[in-house]
Amino acid sequence: MQFARYLLRRTLWLLVTFVAAMVLVFLLIRLVPGNPVDAIVAQMTRGGGGSGEQVRAIYDNYMREFGLDLPLWQQFLVFCQNVLQGDFGTSFAQYPAPVTAMIGQALPWSIAIQLPAIVVGWLVGNVVGAVAAFRGGWFDKGAFLTSIFATSVPYYCLAIILLFVVAVRMQILPAGGGYSFGLSPELTLTFFGDAITYFWLPFWSLVIVFIGGQAVGMRSMAIYELGSDYVNYARGLGIGDNRITRYIFRNAMLPQLSGLALSIGGMIGGALITELVFNYPGLGTLLFTAISSNDYPVIQAIVLLITIAVLLANFLVDVVNGLIDPRIRAAETGDR
Amino acid sequence: MTRLLDARNLRAAYRTQDGRLVRAVDDVSVHVDEGEVLGVAGESGCGKSTLGAILSLNVRSPLQVESGTLDIEGKRQDFGASAKIPRTWRGSVVSLLPQGAMNSISPTMRVRDLCFDVVRAHDRRARRSDALDRVRDRIADLGLPPRVLDAYPHQLSGGMKQRVVTVISTLLNPRLLIADEPTSALDVSSQRALIEMLKEMLEQKIMAGVIFVTHDLPVLRTVSDRIAVMYAGKIVEVADAGDLVDRPRHPYSAALLSSVLVPEPRYRTMRVKGIPGAPPNLLDPPPGCRFHPRCGLAMPQCHTDEPPTDGTELRYSACHWSAQHPGESVPVEAATRDELDGGEPLDRAGEPVALAGDGTGVGR
Repeated sequence: MQFARYLLRRTLWLLVTFVAAMVLVFLLIRLVPGNPVDAIVAQMTRGGGGSGEQVRAIYDNYMREFGLDLPLWQQFLVFCQNVLQGDFGTSFAQYPAPVTAMIGQALPWSIAIQLPAIVVGWLVGNVVGAVAAFRGGWFDKGAFLTSIFATSVPYYCLAIILLFVVAVRMQILPAGGGYSFGLSPELTLTFFGDAITYFWLPFWSLVIVFIGGQAVGMRSMAIYELGSDYVNYARGLGIGDNRITRYIFRNAMLPQLSGLALSIGGMIGGALITELVFNYPGLGTLLFTAISSNDYPVIQAIVLLITIAVLLANFLVDVVNGLIDPRIRAAETGDR
Repeated sequence: MTRLLDARNLRAAYRTQDGRLVRAVDDVSVHVDEGEVLGVAGESGCGKSTLGAILSLNVRSPLQVESGTLDIEGKRQDFGASAKIPRTWRGSVVSLLPQGAMNSISPTMRVRDLCFDVVRAHDRRARRSDALDRVRDRIADLGLPPRVLDAYPHQLSGGMKQRVVTVISTLLNPRLLIADEPTSALDVSSQRALIEMLKEMLEQKIMAGVIFVTHDLPVLRTVSDRIAVMYAGKIVEVADAGDLVDRPRHPYSAALLSSVLVPEPRYRTMRVKGIPGAPPNLLDPPPGCRFHPRCGLAMPQCHTDEPPTDGTELRYSACHWSAQHPGESVPVEAATRDELDGGEPLDRAGEPVALAGDGTGVGR
C-alpha cells in the first residue's frame, strides 16, 4: 500500500519532467538562428537553377512538409504527436532518410558495446571494491591503486593506447569500424564472428575505466559501513562473516545502484569519443556527424532520446531504492 | 553460589598508528556468580568499555588482548596472540548489549530478519517459522508489542529500539550478558523500563549473569549487586553495591561519588564536587598509584609504589591509604584535592576541573 503510493508519486514526477524536457528540446531547436528550410533551399538552388517563382514553391512546400508554417503552439502539438508515434522527421543532411531509421541503425551498435561494458564493469568493480574493503591488507592496497589509476586515465587516452598497441603494432584485432567490408548487418554466425573482433577493443577501453570507478566508490562505501554499529553488533551475536558482508553490501550498494542506472541511461548517448576513436557505427558517431553538418532533426531526436533514457533510468533508480531502502519510502510518503 | 564467569589477569592494549601501545585494560580480574549483576563504573577512558569488549569476545583491531584467561561455567579459554575463540560462543555463551542501540540494526533490514539470522548463525538447520515463533513468544513474555518484529529500525523509538536489541541479544539464552552503557542514550523513563526488563530476564533465568558497564552511578546502584570501580585500566575497588556507595574505601570511588548526584542520605547534603585534573594518558601512566596526582590523600609512597590490594576477593581496595586504615571508609571531603599541585606529572594538567563520570546522575 505504502509502496503503491510511493510508486504513484514517482510516476507523476516522471511525467512532469518528461513534458518539461519535451518543451525544452522543442524550444532549443527553434532558438537556433536561421531556418532549416532556408539552408535546404539554398543548397538546392546553389547551381543557379530555377526562377524566383519555382524557389518560392519549393520553399513553401518544405515549410508545409516540416510544419513550419503553423503557429508555434500548433507546431509543438504536432511535434509531440509525432514523437509519441516515434516519428522524428527527416534528416536534412541525408534527405530524405527518416531520422527514426538512422537512429534505428545506430542504436543497436551503441547498446551492444555499452550494455555489456557497463554490466560487467559494474559487477566486477563492486565485487572488487567490497572484497578490498573487507579483506584489507595487500589485496586492498593493490586493488585500490589499480582502480584509482584505471579510473583516472581519460578513457579516450586508454582507447588510443589500446588501438595503437593491439591493432596497429600487434595487429591482433581490426583497428576500426563495426564489421568487415563486404558484409552487411544480419543475424548470422559469420557476421557475428566478424563483428565480435571489432567489438573487443572499444569494449575493453570502456570496461577498464568503469571497473576502476565502481571499485573506488564501492570500497569507500563498504569501509564506511564496516565501521558501523550494526556490523559490530552482528559480530557480537556470532553472526558469520558471509552474512555480515551481505548486510554491508546491501547498504553500500544504494548509491552504487543509482550510478548503474544513470550509466545505463547515459549509454543511449553513446560513448561519443570511444566510438569516434574506433570509427564505430553507433549513436555517438551519428551525433557527431549530425552536429558537424547542422542536421537539426537528428540532433533533436538524439537529445530527446538521451533525455528520455536518463529520465527512465532515474525513475528506475527511485523504484529500486524504494524497494530496498525502507527509509526512502517512509520519507517520500511522509510516513514514519 | 556457583561461579559463572572467572576472568583472570586480563591485559589488553590498543596499537596506535605509530606502533605504541595504549594499555586500556591492565591486569584486571573479575568474576560473576550465577544470578548476579556486576556493575563496572568509571569515567571516560578508564577502560570499562574495553573490558566489556574483551569479556563479550568482541575484540577487533586495533585492540589486542595480550594475556588472560576466561572461565565460563568450567569452560576455559586462554587469551593471547594465537587464541581462537569459537564464533558460536558469541551470542550463546556470552552476548553483547551494545552502547548506542540506535544503529545496531542494519537500516535496511527488518527486526525479524536479524532475529532469524542470529538463530541460524548458531543452528544451521533452524527453520524460519520455528525461530520466529520463538522470538514472538519471547517478545510477548517481556511485554513488547508484537509489531516490532515487522518493523524497520527507523520505525522504532529510541527506548523501544534498545529494548528490542536487548531481546535480540538474549535470544539464545546466553549465560552472561555484557551490557555496555545500554541506558546512556535513554531518557529516565526508558532507562527504568530497560532496567525492569533486565531484572525480569534474570528472574526468568534467560541469562545467568550480567555485567553492566556504565558511568552512571545512580543507575548502577539500582541494578547491580556488586560494583567494580575502574580507573586508568585497573580495578581500584570492588564491593557490594550498597557498601560501595555508603562506605567507599578507595579515594577514587569516593571522589567519583561526590561528583554526581546520588540520592543517598550521606551525599545529599554535600555539594557536587568535581575531580580536578583529567584521567592519565594511558600511553604513559603515572608511576606508583595511577590516581595519586589527583588524590587528596596521596602519601609519598603513592608516587612510587604500586598500591597493595587490601581485602578479600569480594571486597577490596587497591590503595596505600586503605591498607593503612583497614575497614575504614574514605573521608569523602578529603578524597579530592581542591586544586592540583604545580608541576605534577599529570597529563594535561592545568585544564579546568573535569567532572568525573561525564553524565551527571539522573535523579532516580
